[in-house]
Amino acid sequence: MSRFLTLLGLCFWGVTAPLRAGVGEAAYERGDYVEALQTWRAQAEQNGVTAELLAAIGNAEWKLGHKGRAMVCWERALLLSPRNPVALAGIKHAQGAGGTDRPTQTWSENYAAFLGADLWLILGALGFWGTLLAVLVPKLRRQAMGDWTQRVLITSATLFALSIPGLYGAYTLASRAVVRRTEVAVKLTPTVLGEALNGTAEGDVLRTGRKLNGHTFVTSADGKGGWVKSTELEPIWGGGLPANLDQMQAP
Amino acid sequence: MRAFLAILACCVATSLVRAENHVTWEITPPVCGPGQPFRLQVRIESDDVLGPANQVGKEIKPPRGMALRFSGQVFRANATEATLNFSGVAPEEEGTYVLPAFNARFPSQMVVVPAITLIVSSKTGYRKEGRARAELVLPDRTFYVGEKIAGSVVMRGSEQETVTGTFGLECEAEGFNFQTEGSSFTQPLQDGHGLTKTFELTPIRAGQGEFNLSGIMLVNTGDRISSLSTSGRDRPFNFRRKLSVEHVPETGRPADWGGSIGKLEATPPDLSNRFPEVGEPIKLKLTLVGEGNLERIVAPEIPGTDSWDITLASELRQRRSEGRRTFIYTLVPRLPGDQKTPAVRFATFNPDSKKFESVEFISVAVKVSGNAPAKVELVTMDPSAKIGTPAAKTITGLLTPTVAAGAKGVAKIEPLAASQPFWLSNSAALVALLLATLVISVVGYFAAHPEILVRRRARLALRRYRTAAQEAQRRQDYAAYARAITQGLRAGAAPLLQAEPLALTQSDILRALPSANLTLLTAVFLAADGAKYGAKDAAQAIAEDAQLQAMLNTLEAQL
Repeated sequence: MSRFLTLLGLCFWGVTAPLRAGVGEAAYERGDYVEALQTWRAQAEQNGVTAELLAAIGNAEWKLGHKGRAMVCWERALLLSPRNPVALAGIKHAQGAGGTDRPTQTWSENYAAFLGADLWLILGALGFWGTLLAVLVPKLRRQAMGDWTQRVLITSATLFALSIPGLYGAYTLASRAVVRRTEVAVKLTPTVLGEALNGTAEGDVLRTGRKLNGHTFVTSADGKGGWVKSTELEPIWGGGLPANLDQMQAP
Repeated sequence: MRAFLAILACCVATSLVRAENHVTWEITPPVCGPGQPFRLQVRIESDDVLGPANQVGKEIKPPRGMALRFSGQVFRANATEATLNFSGVAPEEEGTYVLPAFNARFPSQMVVVPAITLIVSSKTGYRKEGRARAELVLPDRTFYVGEKIAGSVVMRGSEQETVTGTFGLECEAEGFNFQTEGSSFTQPLQDGHGLTKTFELTPIRAGQGEFNLSGIMLVNTGDRISSLSTSGRDRPFNFRRKLSVEHVPETGRPADWGGSIGKLEATPPDLSNRFPEVGEPIKLKLTLVGEGNLERIVAPEIPGTDSWDITLASELRQRRSEGRRTFIYTLVPRLPGDQKTPAVRFATFNPDSKKFESVEFISVAVKVSGNAPAKVELVTMDPSAKIGTPAAKTITGLLTPTVAAGAKGVAKIEPLAASQPFWLSNSAALVALLLATLVISVVGYFAAHPEILVRRRARLALRRYRTAAQEAQRRQDYAAYARAITQGLRAGAAPLLQAEPLALTQSDILRALPSANLTLLTAVFLAADGAKYGAKDAAQAIAEDAQLQAMLNTLEAQL
């Protein structure tokens, strides 16, 4: 019985050990980035990703030399928390010391990054419905628009109008991807043997456009366009932890 | 016939006869001491006329250590013999040396001179101290690709033999670039009995290479020929040496090394004006002196500073023998006050110590007068920031992450915009709202315009009664026919007169249909209500069915 209890205790310890607070930070502090990464990844797989966790994983990945994975983590951390200081510092460091390229954000993208895409969409929906109901309800009730109805109409219409650039900026921000391979050729045509116009490196952030023939049209930070294999990119939206590109896809 | 055969035999015999050459040689002295000059005479006797020999010197390959040179030929015109004279210097080591067989090319034929043997022995009593001799002065070390090796041939004379000149310096060395200052550039030795001929050697590739240098010095033996002149002779010299060449080591090579190899020194900088004004260009002259490949050096770059704008103006390339190289820079002061010209460091590789050394041109103090230009922030963190405002603290490097324990997150970061339920629910609500709005609007419209529905109902009733009338006519049911017609007329005329259908009479119908036949209307109404009022036979009304149908159509059209 005592042996069973000991084994049970060990199993519990083993399951919860990586998730204890400070284990990953301590490993990161002493330079053991592999253990820090494993700890945080286990935490993310169990509890899901948060902005802080993604930013921390991004730092560890960067320290291990995985520029593409680090940039994916930091960009996704900013999706969850647009002003996460660790992710912002990481991206700035990657652009400065790391030499990675990232498209300069337009004013609408900066505007959208102020609140986040989901919040802009909620505000836009509220503004839309408020405006619509404030206009329709008095008509349906065959009554004149009252004071409160007018206040609701103005407020909702303003909210809706303010959310439009935010929604547009969030849309363009979502149309970005991170280069995951070390040397990627930007081609003239979306074909395997397409002429290489220029190259892009791991960790660079590209604007993405339409997809064709397994390729994605991308625009680099300096405005040059071309086609890149879709498998060499990882979209910023639509994932948690960075994808393992070395893993074979299921048939 | 016999005479012919005799002539033919003579011709064949003359064609079969070969000219025979007889070659003899003689060395004087027959046995040479080490380093002793000797003469070689080759005599050729032939059956044919020989004439002058061509390119004899190039055919000879003397053994290592022996210098041998073709001095000339003694021949007479149309003679069948020739004498070739060579002068040489025996090797320094004792032994028997074999001069390989060589060809003597004459205009008529080529004569093979057999191998010649030279015996060198120290027992001859020859003392070379009193003889003129040539020495090669070349550093004995590993050389480096691109460096300039200064070498010389020192031709030492004595009181018995003085060296009066030199010519024909030739070098055979693969992988080396050989240069001299010209045949006339020879310097006498201090004792006046000899000469020095300098040359420069530059390795152009790494590896082992053989250096072969030969030449002739003119020696005055002091033997008096006449009262005006003394006898002299040429004496060849030949040096062979294996040289080892490497590339300049990469270990410790400074990033700013520009190919300089040698022992160089920097002279004090020369400034054209030490009291310039702001914006006034001045010349800074930097001169390198010493032994090295000065002409191969790339001018060092001097980056501009906050105080100076610097550009490379020109270079002064002196002759190689001067051993100096000058770079001239244009400096433009940007700020007033006591300034210093930038110190210039220059990296060079010393082949003797095999280490890189730094040569530095020191700074020169300059007093700049004038006014500074308008204040400009040279470096700002934010180009759009106003002057004077403190720069914002920038984030550099990675921040130390902190992760809250147990915080619940999301498995996949999906935008709300990608949520299908979000758009479905919003779309459904929008459609429902629009539908409700539409319905309420339609209902409200009909509520505001009730005559539309009244007329529509009247039209439907009129059609129904018309159909009933047609049915009654087919059955020959005259009463039913008249009732159906009158009900149709009442239903059609009621909305026009805004009255109830049952309350209308034939005169009311006439108001709605002014063109109608009152007699016919009266007959139809009487036939319809005949049971109550004793009407006439309704068969007459059926006979006027066309007119009655026309009345119904007119009413329907007005609805």
